This record gives sequence, C-alpha cells and structure tokens, in this order.
Amino acid sequence: MSAARDLARVLGLWNPRALWLTFGAATACASALAGVALLALAGGGVGQGLATGSLAAGAGLLVFLRPLIFLRPFLRWAERMATHAATFRALADTRTWFFRRLAQRLTAGPGMTRSGDLLGRLVTDVEALDGLYLRALVPMAAAAAVVLALAVILGAVAPVLAAIVALPLALALLLPVLIAPFAGRAATSTAEATGALRAEAVEPLTALEDVLAANGEGRAIARVEAAARAMDLERRRLTRAGSLGGAAGAVLTQGALLGALAWGVTGGGEPAAVIVALFLVLAAADALGALPRAGAALALAAAGARRLLEAADHPVPVPDPPVSATPQGHALSVRGVRFAWAEDRPPVFEDLSLDLPEGARVALLGPSGIGKSTLAALLLKLAAPQDGRITLGGADYETLSADAVRARIACLTQDATLFDDSIAANLRLAAPEAPDAALWEALERARIADLVRALPEGLETRCGEAGARFSGGQARRIALARALLSPASIIILDEPTAGLDAATERAFLETLDAALAGRSAILITHRLTGVERPTRILRLAGGRALPAMS
Amino acid sequence: MSRRAGRDPARALLSAAAREGRAALMVPILLGLAATAAGIAQAWLMATLLATLLGHGEAGAGTLAAAAALALLQVGLVVAQETASARAGEAARATLRRRLFGRLLAETPSARPAGEGAALAVDQVEAMDGYFARWIPSAALAVVAPLMVALAAGAADALSGMILVAAGLLVPVGMAVSGIGAAVASRRQFEALQRLSGRFLDRMRGLPTLVLFRRQEDEARALDAAAQELRVRTMRVLRLAFLSSGSLELVAAAVLGCLAWRHGILAAEGHPNPVAALFCLLLVPAFFTPFRAFSTAYHERMSAQGAAAALAPILDATAPGGLLLEEVPPSVTLVVDHLSHRPDPARPLAIEDVSFHVPPGETLVLSGPSGSGKSTILKLLMGFSRPDEGRIALNGRDALALAPAELRRLVAYLPQRPVLLRATIRENIRLARPEASDAAVEAAARSAQVTAFAESLPEGLDTPIGEGGHGLSGGQRLRVALARAFLRDAPLVLLDEPTAHLDPATEAQVLDSLRRLCTGRTVVIASHSAMLRARFPKVLELREGRVVPQRRAVAT
Repeated sequence: MSAARDLARVLGLWNPRALWLTFGAATACASALAGVALLALAGGGVGQGLATGSLAAGAGLLVFLRPLIFLRPFLRWAERMATHAATFRALADTRTWFFRRLAQRLTAGPGMTRSGDLLGRLVTDVEALDGLYLRALVPMAAAAAVVLALAVILGAVAPVLAAIVALPLALALLLPVLIAPFAGRAATSTAEATGALRAEAVEPLTALEDVLAANGEGRAIARVEAAARAMDLERRRLTRAGSLGGAAGAVLTQGALLGALAWGVTGGGEPAAVIVALFLVLAAADALGALPRAGAALALAAAGARRLLEAADHPVPVPDPPVSATPQGHALSVRGVRFAWAEDRPPVFEDLSLDLPEGARVALLGPSGIGKSTLAALLLKLAAPQDGRITLGGADYETLSADAVRARIACLTQDATLFDDSIAANLRLAAPEAPDAALWEALERARIADLVRALPEGLETRCGEAGARFSGGQARRIALARALLSPASIIILDEPTAGLDAATERAFLETLDAALAGRSAILITHRLTGVERPTRILRLAGGRALPAMS
Repeated sequence: MSRRAGRDPARALLSAAAREGRAALMVPILLGLAATAAGIAQAWLMATLLATLLGHGEAGAGTLAAAAALALLQVGLVVAQETASARAGEAARATLRRRLFGRLLAETPSARPAGEGAALAVDQVEAMDGYFARWIPSAALAVVAPLMVALAAGAADALSGMILVAAGLLVPVGMAVSGIGAAVASRRQFEALQRLSGRFLDRMRGLPTLVLFRRQEDEARALDAAAQELRVRTMRVLRLAFLSSGSLELVAAAVLGCLAWRHGILAAEGHPNPVAALFCLLLVPAFFTPFRAFSTAYHERMSAQGAAAALAPILDATAPGGLLLEEVPPSVTLVVDHLSHRPDPARPLAIEDVSFHVPPGETLVLSGPSGSGKSTILKLLMGFSRPDEGRIALNGRDALALAPAELRRLVAYLPQRPVLLRATIRENIRLARPEASDAAVEAAARSAQVTAFAESLPEGLDTPIGEGGHGLSGGQRLRVALARAFLRDAPLVLLDEPTAHLDPATEAQVLDSLRRLCTGRTVVIASHSAMLRARFPKVLELREGRVVPQRRAVAT
C-alpha cells in the first residue's frame, strides 16, 4: 500500500527524534493505564463492599486510589507536553528537509506550480503530519496498552469473561486502520480542495492591480466562495467518516459492557469479576474513544505525506556529478549546444557556440524571446543542453557541481527578486561577509546609493514582499548592486539597465569597467548605447550566436 | 456589555458572528442534551443489573435489552450532533470569508503581502471553525449536561449529587486560572505562524535567486530557526492550556475517590440503596465527558481569538464608499489639480503639487527618472489610494467622490509589473472584459503583438502559462498585459511603462499599436523611453515628485 510506504518514509525522516517520540508514547501509555486503574479500583472496591456488606474487602482496593488521584493528572499533563514537544521537533525537521529538496528541484522557479499551492503544501501538509504521531500513533499505542492490560487482568480471574470483553475492544483497536482508506479518500480530496482554495485566494491578491483594473473583485470573490464550498463538501465526507467511525467504536464498547453484564446475569460466574470488568471497560472507553479520530488523522497524514513527497521527489533538473572537478581559471566556452525547454517546444538553440575568455566582455544582442535568458539558465547550470558541451576553466559542465559553477558565475536575471527583508540582508545574499562599506560601494555603482542614503533607516530599510516598497527601476538597481557585490569571477547581466532612464543608463554603462574590476562579463541586452566598449558583440538569431555586423 | 465588547474587537467579532449563527448553533446543543439524557437512563439500567448480580433487586433480560436500545439511541444522537456542529461551523466561516476577502480586495495594492492575505482568508478563517463547530456547543453543554447528571445523581443520593455539583464549580476555576496567561501566549503564537508562512511564500517566489547566490542552505537554516521559535512559543501556550486539562483530571480523580469512599463506607453498614451507589459511580465518566470536550474546545477558542484578533482590524475597516457611476461616458476630460501624496509616512512626499489637464483624444507622457512619482500618479488616478491633497476631476466632476471600483470602470490600466494568472494566454487577456467574444480577444491579441509570438507556441493563444508568466519572456508577458488594455475598450487609458523590456523592433511595433489604442481616448503614459516620447509629443517632466518647468523639459 503506497500510503503505508509514504508514512513509513515520513517516520524515517523522524528517526533522529526517535528518543523524544518514544518517550512521549510511553508517557501516554502510563497515563492511560493510570486512568483505567483509577476507575477499576473505585468500582471494584465499592462492588466488593456491596457484595460482602463489609468495608474490609473493598478497602484494600480503595487504599491504592489516593496516590493515583495525584499521579493520573500529572501523567496526563506530562503526556501531552512530551508528545507535543516531540511532534514540533519532528515537524521542524520535515519542513526544512522539504525546503532543501525543493531548492534542489525547482531551480527554474515555481513555473507551472502555483506558489500559493506550494505554501499550502509546506505549512498545511507538514502540519497534517503532526496527526500521524499525536492523533494516530500515540492514541493507538495507549489504547493497545489498555486493552492488553484489561485482557491480562480479567484473563487471570475469568478467561471467558476476558474473551467476551477483550474481543470487541480488540476489534475497536483495528478501527483506525479500517477507517483510514475511507477517510483517506476524503482527506486527499479535502487537502486538494484546500490547496485550490488557497490558490484561488493567492492569485487575485498577487495580481491585485490587474484584478482591480478589470473590475474583477466580484468574480474573484465568487471564485473563492466556489472553492470554499467545494472544500466544505469534501470536509463533510471527512466528518462523516470520523463520526461513523466513532459510532462503530461506541457500539463495540457498549457491546463489551453489555456482554459482560449478560455473562453475569446469565450466571456466568463471580459477580465481583463482572463489576471489575464493567468499570475496566468504562475506563477503557476513554482511551478507545480517540481511535476513530486516529483513523482520520492517519488518512490526513497519509494524504499530506503523499503531496509532500510528490513535490520532493521531482527529478533533479540537472543532477550533480558525485565529485566536482575544479576549473582552472574562468574562461567560458560553449560548443555546438542544442536546447529546448520541453520536447514539444521548438528548440531555443540549434548549434550555439561562443567563447568568453578571462576578463572579456561580450555583449549579446537579440530581440525578446530569442533565448537570451535561456542562455543564462544554461550557463548557470539551471538547465542542461540536450547536445553539445559547455566548459568553465577547461572543465566540462557535466563534471562540475552546480555549486562550483554558481560560485564562479553571478547573474542578474530578469526576474531577480528582492526579499521581504532589509536592503543590507538582500545585498548580503551575494556576499554574506561583506562589510557595510562594500555594500555602499555596490549601491554606488548601481546608481542607487543616493536614494538609500535618503531613507531614514538606510541599509536597514525593509524591501517589502518582492521588493514592493520600491519602484520597478529602484528594485532592479538594488538587484544589480547585489549582482555586482558578488565575488564571482564571471558576471552575467541580463538587461541591467531596464528601468533606468537614458542618462542614468549611460552613466552606469560608462563606469561598468570599474564596476567589473577585471572580471569577465556577459551583457545581455537588446540594444547597445555605444558606451559599453565590449570586447565582442554577438547577435543571437536562429538558435546560433553570430558575430554582429557593427 | 456592548461597551466592553467594543473595547476588544476580537471578542466583538466572535460574538457578533455567533449571534448571526444562533439558530444553527442550537441544533447540536439540543442533540447533545438528548444524548446525555439517554446516557443517564442507560447508566441507571446498568446499575440495576449490577445490583441484581450482587443480590440486590431483580432485573433481567428485559432491562439488558432496554440498555442496549438506549446505547444505540445515544450513538445515533451523537452522530447527528457532530453533523449539526460541522454545519454550524461551515455557515459561520462562509460568512466571515466572504466579508474578509471583499475587504482584502479593497486594500491598497501591495500594502499587504499576498501570502499574508491568503493566510488570513484561508488559514485564519479555518482557524475559526472550531469556535463555532466545537467551542460554542461544548461550552453550552459543559454548563447544562453536567448539571443534568448531577441532578440525576442527587435524586439517587443527595450527598453524591452535591459532591458532583461542587466538582462542577471547581472545574471552571481551574480553567480560568490557567486560561488567562494562555490567551496572551496564543496571540503571539499566531503572529509567529503567520510570519513563518509569509516568509516561506516570499522565499519560495525568490527560490531561483536564492539558488543562484547559493544561499538556499542558509535560508533552510533560517527557516529551521523560525520553526524552532514557533515551537518554543507554541509550547508556552500549551504548557498553560494543558495545565487546565490537568486540573480537570485532578477534579475527576478526586470525585471518584470521594464517591468511592462514601459508598464504600455506606456499604460497610449495609447500603440503603445499592443501585444508587453503583449509579453514582457509573455516572462519573458521563459527568466529566462534557468538561473534556469543553477543555479540548477551549484550545479552539484561543485559536479562534488569535485569528479573530488578526481579522478584526480588516473587517472593522470602513468599507470604501462613494458614488456610483450611471454609465460609462464615451469620452473623458481629465483634470489633475495640485495633487500631493505621501504613500509612506516615513518617506518624503512621492508627488508634490502636480497639476495637468488631458482632453479627449490627447496623450500625455509622464517622464522622469525612476522614483520620480510617475507610477504614484497613475495609482491615484486608479483609485488604489486617496491623495493627501488636491483634486482629480473627470468631465468636470470630482473623481474622488466616486467609489474606487466605479472610477475604474472608466479606465484601461497597464500596471508597471503586470501579473499573469496561471491560465491560458486567452484567459489572461479576457480578464479585462470577461464577457468579450473570442473574436474581440483575438483582435486585442493582434493589436498588442501577442499573436506574433503566440503563433509559434504549441497551442497558440490557448497555451497555458504559469504564475508569473513562466515560459514567456519579459517582453512577451508585457504584451499579454497590453492586450488586456486593448480588450478593455475604456475612454481613459493609463499605461505604466508600456515598452520597458522590449527590444527596439518590438517596441516600434507595440508603439504603432499603442497609437491605435490612444486614438480618440484620453491617455496618460508613464515612460522614460525616448522612442515613445518621440511618438507622443506632449510630455510632462517629473523630478522628485514635482513637475519640471516646461522650458527645462524641452532643453533635455
């Protein structure tokens, strides 16, 4: 069963926390047994008193009550603290594991998967996994401990009675596993419906200006409502699976209770045993009552695990070699590269060759959509050519790890993002150890230092989500400063002056030499202003790089 | 009472929503009471059977059958109660979500990260479910159901009944003592949760940037630290919340001990009513079940209060009012008079004392370096926010008196960073006018030069594109957004950098079609493209939010 395999893999991820998890479950068993003992001792004591008409018989049992009165609440509190602490540790591990896996796999951007959906996956699905331990495994362990104890105690006194009582209860132990497939289907569709609702909510908020400009508020609300209704319908099925499971559990417990009574009424044996059995079952009902929910929790966790693992198991777009070669120098060469983003898409490059010797500056021209950004993706090892080879410092890209490549090549991509953090933190992505002076220098070179200096909080000003606090041109220049700050020996600048006015653009390009400080550069642009002084000009056309006429 | 509610907006929000859903909330409460009554009756029958076993009284198979029937009845009532509870939660969430999402859409664009808004509309609204589906029914049942049980016990043995009543009074005391600190901590926990999910969406969007700078590992570690912070906060909430359930267990255990001693001692002297003794003991679990449900739901209430505190400021914000537009006029004269605006109180004025006038059929280009206030003016004209000072008039009428959505009916707008939805190119264009025919969409696509590149895609205009326009280049995305403006067909056209990221050949083509778009309409374009300024002679030069006097503008 694939659900079981998924859950086993999740448990494998939690292995480092095994000690915490086991401790939590053990506390839960102790707490449940204390609860059973409490009720059984009280019932048994009074029952024996009533049967014999003297206190002496029952007092033995009642004496044990007193310590339990204090032990049981403490164990209950300790159980909940221990199980929750263990869960949160395990979940934090899962969250970062998932992030790392995605970082390896989705390097070319969220692409066709909605980023709102990804958010849902991480937060909601990881949290659904807490049910696996807290609401499934722990209650199942506690209930099993109780049923086992009950079978042993009664078995010693009256084996037939033990069978009458323990069999339906043991059946109730199976409930989670029986309910899980039903609840599983409902849970999968509920999780999908919630993901869809989240995506319906994220999309118009992300595109808020576009939606408002189209007077699309009403339609956006209607779509969110429709998605919410669909989610609620799925949730109803989940609720029904849970409450029918609860009903089945209650029927089985009542069967055990009434079975014990019937055994006693029909003269099966010792009345005192029946009384103890009755109170044991009554106490066990508390532990068993959590089981139907355990089934639903099991199913929800399995659905969450499935979606997490599905995203995490995407093939790595460009796998790393086991050991990375070390490039000698940083001359870059592309030979006979053929590349298409997908098999059904027309190829972007047919037979692309170009060279970037150390310290060279190549300007790459071509109309939009010709594949300038695709070339950047290939050079950064975000994608691999279907044919041909790329070498860096004499080492073939296939023998280099992506990390080794990106340590030597920095890029200002067209969709370079600013994060919802301070300007300084955004810049230091490129060079974590850079002192403030270096940050200012980079900002100076990107022609944005004056603006930052005028901000009351200076470098500590927060950029807002995706740099929303700044105008398009300002955000772009901060991203440019970040690329210039990078210690890489090759810098790819994809339209570095988009969003700059003509005067600033010229000023930037004129000082590009100083900004590059001897590093090689590829300048991707759709036109030259005449001040760049590149060492070579290439024009992309028909999937090749041709020397430009000029 | 209402004054107190007015002081705590979260509580006011919850009680208002509960009042609205009162009828739906009564059903699960009544069903729960019926289930308790069935449980009491069944306990009595079992006590009679047990007493018979011990040689006190004579009950038989009939009693056993009746007990079984009552057990089944109780099971059925509980199932019905759970269904009714879920429905009550559903209804309450639907109302809240609709209202909230409407308000989120009315906020100034980019004032709130989209991830945070979605978390409010989905997670926080879902966090309210427990309040209506479990907390309110269980709170009502925790008052009435134990009282019913205690009265039943009291009828059998007065002192046992009094022990139960005393215990019932102790339970809320224990909960209140541990609940006050927990409520404060709960609010903090929700802030942490929201930060975590906002941070993740932000980092996920920029994942390529993180990977290119090889910072994914650091970010994973930072995410881990945020998760640890969340854990520490949550455990602080739970330590207190669990203390209240521990206090409940203590009372339950103590009651059991008291009843056992009382009836044990009575039994030693020949119990006057053995059935009553067993009945009282059997009732103990039934007495505490509503409290247990209440204790679980208490946690739900704290969650809901945390969520309500986050939602209340948005729901309480005054809805954007304003006049409605009778009909869209065929042409518009735009007058902007001494407009000043400071979008961020911590920053200088974004625009200061800007005035201009655009008659129908004319195009005005707002020019100037980035950050000079071009976009701010367009956003004010779109009604995304209200100017601090000045006047905007359309055909001589005050545009600021119109409801923002009504104002936008007059306008076709191209944002500086247009967002493409995860849909086909055709659907993306159709966003501007959903009722538009296929022919109209195709015409708009042609005008904006979308057809030129769409023809080489596998499914033409029906090619799906990802969020953020994955699969299209920057220039192609822009042209799809431009096609929206064509399809919109409005008298006033506002374009923010319509030719940024375009190569000269494409820019020239787009400019040709822009001219067609502008013909006969009132147009304001923010741009610093020299080619664009050459085509549209009327230019207003801006610098640091102020209009540069005409002579200097001509000189540059």
